[in-house]
Amino acid sequence: MSAIASSRVPANVGQQLLANWHRAKGKERDALLWGDEVEYLVVAMDDAAKKARLSLAQADILKSLARDEALWQEGTCTYSENKEHDGEEPPHFHPEFGRFMLEATPGRPWGIDFKDLLKVESNMRWRREVAKAHMAPNESPITLTTFPRLGTKDDYSQPYYPPSGPALRSQFVPDEIANPHIRFPTLAANIRSRRGRKVELNVPVFKDKNTPEPFKDPTVDYDLQIWPEDDDVRNGAVKDGHVYMDAMAFGMGSCCLQITFQAKNVPEGRKLYDQLSPLGPILLALTAATPVYKGFLVDTDVRWNQIGNAVDDRTKEELGELPLKNDRWRIPKSRYASNSTYISQDPRLRKEYLDPGLIVDEDIKKRLMEDGMDEQLATHFAHLFIRDPIVVFSEDLEELDLNKADHFENLQSTNWQHMRFKPPPPEKHDIGWRVEFRSMEIQMTDFENAAFAIFIVLVTRAILSFDLNFYIPIQRTTENMETAHARNAVLDQKFYFRKNPFSPPVRRHQPSSSGSNASSAAHSAYNTPPPSPPLAPVESEYELMTISDIINGSSDGSFPGLIPLVESYLNSVNVDVETRCSLARYLDLIRKRANGTLWTGAKWIREFVAKHPAYKQDSAVSEEICYDLVRAVEEMSVKEGANGSVGWEMLRGRKA
Amino acid sequence: MKLILSTSNIMTAGGPSVIRQPTTFKSNVELINSLRANFQAAQQSTLPPNTPTSNDTSASWTRTEEDTLYIPAVDFSQRGLAEERSQYDITVKLFYLPGIPVSRRCAHTRQAIDLVLKELHVTSIDLLIVSFPGILFDAEDDSEEEEGSSVDDGSEEQSDDFDSLVQTWQTLENLQAQGKISQLGVAEFGAERLARFIAHTKVKPSVDQINLKDCCVVPKNLIMYAKQEKIDLLTHNDCNDILPVGTTRELLGPGERGAGILASSPGAEDGVQGDIEMQWVVKYTAVVKDRGVVENKGYFALADVGSCVKPPIY
Repeated sequence: MSAIASSRVPANVGQQLLANWHRAKGKERDALLWGDEVEYLVVAMDDAAKKARLSLAQADILKSLARDEALWQEGTCTYSENKEHDGEEPPHFHPEFGRFMLEATPGRPWGIDFKDLLKVESNMRWRREVAKAHMAPNESPITLTTFPRLGTKDDYSQPYYPPSGPALRSQFVPDEIANPHIRFPTLAANIRSRRGRKVELNVPVFKDKNTPEPFKDPTVDYDLQIWPEDDDVRNGAVKDGHVYMDAMAFGMGSCCLQITFQAKNVPEGRKLYDQLSPLGPILLALTAATPVYKGFLVDTDVRWNQIGNAVDDRTKEELGELPLKNDRWRIPKSRYASNSTYISQDPRLRKEYLDPGLIVDEDIKKRLMEDGMDEQLATHFAHLFIRDPIVVFSEDLEELDLNKADHFENLQSTNWQHMRFKPPPPEKHDIGWRVEFRSMEIQMTDFENAAFAIFIVLVTRAILSFDLNFYIPIQRTTENMETAHARNAVLDQKFYFRKNPFSPPVRRHQPSSSGSNASSAAHSAYNTPPPSPPLAPVESEYELMTISDIINGSSDGSFPGLIPLVESYLNSVNVDVETRCSLARYLDLIRKRANGTLWTGAKWIREFVAKHPAYKQDSAVSEEICYDLVRAVEEMSVKEGANGSVGWEMLRGRKA
Repeated sequence: MKLILSTSNIMTAGGPSVIRQPTTFKSNVELINSLRANFQAAQQSTLPPNTPTSNDTSASWTRTEEDTLYIPAVDFSQRGLAEERSQYDITVKLFYLPGIPVSRRCAHTRQAIDLVLKELHVTSIDLLIVSFPGILFDAEDDSEEEEGSSVDDGSEEQSDDFDSLVQTWQTLENLQAQGKISQLGVAEFGAERLARFIAHTKVKPSVDQINLKDCCVVPKNLIMYAKQEKIDLLTHNDCNDILPVGTTRELLGPGERGAGILASSPGAEDGVQGDIEMQWVVKYTAVVKDRGVVENKGYFALADVGSCVKPPIY
């Protein structure tokens, strides 16, 4: 198998998309099914040397997991020693970009039966146990977003490989850091070659008392002469005051918490895509857990832009650094970025909410529309299609199969926006249209991960039940995404949000379509409702709000708050006491993260480093601190901050 | 004269039903706000623009049928639910109100259920939960003293005695036998009351609703007993005396926030005259089963008004 980059593919992609669209656009009444994806770093602890290293044993671990899953299918192996998970299918494990990563999903998707919601947390714990059972005794899966010392000069991986290989050409990480499946090094190499230089991540350093001023990243080697790209640092790739990184692994090696929902039909999927979009940055700030890169405390709290920069394949022309000559467009965002389109055919969607500068491939848009796709959705896909497919396997190019979606999926899955609208896979008739919510950071404990996953699920139910309207101009969401990066953004920053999430009341007493004419004189008066008032300026519909106001409601009652909305929803459905009590714990975590009673992961890590006896107030997170931090995170994943154990400030808010 | 107050579908009414301050206290805010919002919406939708609201217009947004005044007028010809009946779980909660004779409950239950069926355009409901006045669940003390244990302002005579619970239940069993209701449930029963009660039933309650405040401290004996008897313990946050007379008079009266239908006091001449006596309140919800979406939720409340209405006991 060989992998190449190609720009000949969009025609095929469009044909596959259209074939699939016509096949599946009429799908109806699919149930709510949803799934969460939890990603792990695999660490190997060396207690003698007091070092935490990344384990690169992904392939062995996955092989051993797959063997046991096969045995389970035959019925000759049981996963859980106790009976807790009887009747549940064993979790699925998947490879990820980083060879030190694992991804786990539930064996079967969740439904909306409230008793299902109770199983999420224990299932997440089970995944961790199963994963751990397939690792060496000194290895374990942890849910930090990033490994604090990835890319430092020391031997941070096990086994150790020296940096600077042909695929990544990074001076900090070896090619062996990436999953060896051809897709991944090819992806990295194609991004680099398309871009014409290495990717560039400059993250502002957190300036502590003893941090050198000006800060010049001391780990950068300006004298390396192995690859042409080694010139990057000599050509100004490194910014003063920043931690510099140069490879896809620094971004795609981050762990996220992603939730995918199956919608009832296309209109519901499009509505959820739009309505969840403004929540992306809010949940990003609320789950902030990424304050350390390459051994330094940084001045940002989240992973998002680092990933964006780590896979940014735009050329200098596309970036606007050179005049357009060979390329077709200036492109304002990386292919990993906040989304830029609204796709619902919702009368509440005003044209002012759309991005006037949206870049679309007009040829593709035209073709999609000629073949019967509505303009809005055609615009969305034609916007995704401005990107080149960065990995294509050559045999796929030989024959185009309209009963598959591989070309389309190839392009869609390398367009990493914070929302994703997923058509049903053509070969699986029992799967419907899906929407993925992708902005959240992974949390250190399964309690938190379950809380955020379930919160988002409940928010979608409240959106559909109350017909909520969170529309704001989509550029404001892009700005919010930037805002979410600031240190302690969850408490210190304000975010654009819609002031009134309710739609005007459904007009009463519309004449029934069946044409019942038996109405009284009084009744006929209802048939001429007053004309709807002209819409107020878009700018008056939203304002800057704190995350606490958005989540808990504003103190003057003008904005109801997502938690009160969810609680009102829960008060309208039949929930058993045990489930409601668990849900109360989850909602309480989110309520208190938003109002500052509980710390975010980012804040907890910062405090852990600051209080560590080996920390010298110089922003450096040493091997010793890293080891203790990883130990603490391991302990936390079991004790979850109970009785004053480590992490209580983040999880409980009290020691007792 | 009878008054039938209604909220229409409060899920899509622009949010008056959302309780903005998160609270675990039992509340009738949802009902009161939704009624008020629905009255206002009805008044506005029938008025030509720029007409000041006055009492004289009440006729245009209410409707009289025989001796019943619908506030606002309900258009039962509108489509009920978007999808076919089998897609929904329809739960109805009926609040029997304090001071109303038990003998009326049979008729009240029929009236309430029939209104809901008519509103939703269905022929049966999945679950009917009944709330008896004065029965309060107390998580700290599940010792179940009967008669006179009511903690509410000494209103002993408002609390149902055990015989009347059983008597009421028999009428529900009959309705269930007629196929209008699939399952029956109670609210706020502790383990002992439940055990004593079940001994007198043909159709066991399949649900016991506990208020939210206590959902994390439900006594073990109740959990065990419910599990053994296959009774689901569900949560709610309604209060028992969900629509007191004073509140109703304020909602319907001539005041600034009133609907301008009732007189300001029984003898006053600024509206419909007479004493008012709330008979029952019913809440209904239709949830799309496999998607967890609440498509329709609302309330009806029935009041007797007039000079011959027996004044409330208190």
